Amino acid sequence: MTRREPLRKAIEGLLDDVEGILALRRTSGHVAPHLFCDSGELDELAVSPKYPLPGTLRLIQAEHPEAQLAIVCRGCEERGLIEMAKRNQVNLDRVVVIGLACTAEEAEECRCAKPYPSVLVDAHVGERAEPVVDKLADELRQKDVSERFEFWRQQFDRCIKCYGCRNACPQCFCPECTLEEGLWVERGEVPPAYPTFHLIRAMHTVGKCVGCRECELSCPAGIPLTTLYALIRQEVREMFGYEPGADLEEQPPLVLPAEVES
Amino acid sequence: MMDEPKIVAYACTYCSYPGADLAGTSRIRYSPNVNIIRVLCSGRVSPELILRTLREGADGVLVLGCHYGDCHFISGNHRTAKRVAVLQRILEYAGIDPERLRLEWVSASEGERFAKIVDEFTETIRQLEPMERVLA
Repeated sequence: MTRREPLRKAIEGLLDDVEGILALRRTSGHVAPHLFCDSGELDELAVSPKYPLPGTLRLIQAEHPEAQLAIVCRGCEERGLIEMAKRNQVNLDRVVVIGLACTAEEAEECRCAKPYPSVLVDAHVGERAEPVVDKLADELRQKDVSERFEFWRQQFDRCIKCYGCRNACPQCFCPECTLEEGLWVERGEVPPAYPTFHLIRAMHTVGKCVGCRECELSCPAGIPLTTLYALIRQEVREMFGYEPGADLEEQPPLVLPAEVES
Repeated sequence: MMDEPKIVAYACTYCSYPGADLAGTSRIRYSPNVNIIRVLCSGRVSPELILRTLREGADGVLVLGCHYGDCHFISGNHRTAKRVAVLQRILEYAGIDPERLRLEWVSASEGERFAKIVDEFTETIRQLEPMERVLA
């Protein structure tokens, strides 16, 4: 844990200016998100494993909209914050962001294309690791449609419809979820019928998914959802030139009218 | 025995449905495989609806809307255009032939165009394996 001490130094001074710092805490061997309000607690500060803190920030801000907070953000979390801010889920004016760069091993594990924050802040702690190429995505690109069908069918047949992917996703904040509507996804059917459940979710991540891999980490069946969403993200980038979490101003493509040559 | 493809066409009530109607009243012969469902706007055809249509066994889904600038709801067809394009890519990566989904603009005066699109689309779908067998 070489990044723990530098991170502690980076956030320690902030406690005078903000009401709380959202980071991870290790108590009795378990790591969980925690709002650090007192410098004494910082002994229990943890860096890993990764946990989607922006989702927690959204919940805190919903209860305490006036609070001045700070949050420790990895690259993916920063991108997530940006996309959530665009949809009015978090208020960035009341948040101080502390950047944390992922190690090369973490980036490798997540197949992360940008394992460090760079838009809101630069990484305060850690060195920028090299982007990692998703080999599975490349492999799938080479396959033809029927081979891809076989691949995904095998993967999705293991789904136990636990909604873990949706629950873990920091970008899934709709009060009512399409995936719970019997009209689109039959109740009591496991595994859920292909292609509705998984592709409805895939469609809903378009322009939002920042590739944080929380869905895949939470999946008890180990379905490589990150790869599916990464492939889709690549397509959206090519079609609309939109990269989720890359910029605070640009609006997601699906909410805007198409540009038509007249 | 040749399987007859099942095709569902979502036609918007302001342009494409009258277009299909015109094809009928003009006695233009078009493929009987198509089942037309009238919707208020092509923007109403959500990805969920398209995916469920495919899952229920439709071999092809045709989304028909007004030409750009003619939409009764001004930008409903813009949204469809983007959504369908994205959904086609998703289908492709998920292993479902994106040709099963097509978006076309048909105005109320384009009965012949409607018939041509439906015939062409039916022929395209005929080349593909029936969806029921794919999903079985």
